[in-house]
Amino acid sequence: MEIKINNLEKYYGNRKVLDIESLIIEKGKITGITGPNGCGKTTLLNIIAGLDKEYIGNITYNGLNLNKEIADKMTIVFQKPYLFKRSVYENIEYPLKVRGIDKESRSKKVLDIVKKLEIEDLIEKKAHLLSGGESQKVALARALVFKPNLLLLDEPTSNIDPDAIEILEREILKFNEETNGTVIIVTHNLEQSKRLGHRIIEM
Amino acid sequence: MDYIIQGFKEAINLLISLDREVLLIVSLSIIVSTSATILASLISIPLGVYFGIKKFKGKRLFSRITYTLMSIPSVIVGLVVAIILSRRGPLGYLDLLYTKKAMIIAQTLLVIPLVFGLTFGLTKSRGDVIEKVAFTLGANKWDTIILIIRELKIDILVNIATAFSRAISEVGAVMIVGGNIKGYTRVITTTISMMNSMGDYPMAIALGIILLLISFVIHSIIYSYSQED
Repeated sequence: MEIKINNLEKYYGNRKVLDIESLIIEKGKITGITGPNGCGKTTLLNIIAGLDKEYIGNITYNGLNLNKEIADKMTIVFQKPYLFKRSVYENIEYPLKVRGIDKESRSKKVLDIVKKLEIEDLIEKKAHLLSGGESQKVALARALVFKPNLLLLDEPTSNIDPDAIEILEREILKFNEETNGTVIIVTHNLEQSKRLGHRIIEM
Repeated sequence: MDYIIQGFKEAINLLISLDREVLLIVSLSIIVSTSATILASLISIPLGVYFGIKKFKGKRLFSRITYTLMSIPSVIVGLVVAIILSRRGPLGYLDLLYTKKAMIIAQTLLVIPLVFGLTFGLTKSRGDVIEKVAFTLGANKWDTIILIIRELKIDILVNIATAFSRAISEVGAVMIVGGNIKGYTRVITTTISMMNSMGDYPMAIALGIILLLISFVIHSIIYSYSQED
């Protein structure tokens, strides 16, 4: 999914927190966004995700304005993900369920993604009781399971041990290669941006 | 002082002997208030969640009106229902006044604002993050409402219990639309009120104890369920 941003401005009260004249996020590429705290990285991600509609400017997705059909093809993993108070399996199954996918296919896809992210041992656990690192992995699995066209990641590897970071980065790269899905990753970690990103934007 | 102690003794006897009249009054109270709470919850919970997450102009004013209606006096609700259901009223032809159905209607209308307001407030403060996640995972409006109800189910259950407590403990509405007819529309609160005015305390005390027990049992169940969750 290609995203074009023109004359984007975002204010909190009188304070301008975002000012982007023109930005194109290329289809099928991984774009890393880095920058200091408070520069508007997360705000930009929320705007692209359609979660924040109070802005000035124009954003198009493959040339179209945001609608339900486009929104259904993208997802975001938050820095502190909210997991539903049910099992890890049910959490990951959720986006498939709301898309009306049958139970058998859902099960296959869920088991496949938990295997890739090496979280099979968590599948029966209550998701909201997991550690920060485990929650990040489950949130990424829940985002990847329905193969979105646009994956937005807000500091997806904060609170995660180095081994787990390797697994997550591997799966993000694999997702991009296998599905040609566009990825935008917001991170403080410039090294991570370089490892993953085809392009890096410093804000 | 003696008559109070005597009243308690006789009340305990009534409870131990499972007095038929007491049982009838208690069962009717439970049936009417449970029906009203279920009906009110079915209507108010989805609506409360919907308006809680919806962003619209005048939401603050809407909140204030909602919270005001939560404490609407039961006699007002009883009076309005009685006027509507009275023979000359718009629904008089249904012949519902002084029936159990009229009592259920009145209590349903009484607790709808309560369940709605509590759910609305709860969703307004805690539904936002759930809604955002649901949206990013492809959920539609209805999926989102269901998800929020499931995620906040313990708090919603507490709200339902609060509504039930309000329904079973109110006297004004059921007195006006039910008429306190013995064996037919007589419930715990109307009996206590009547017995008090007659100076017949044992039955009133017995029913008062039962009312407290019902409230204790319901809140204990919810408390243990929330601990498990």
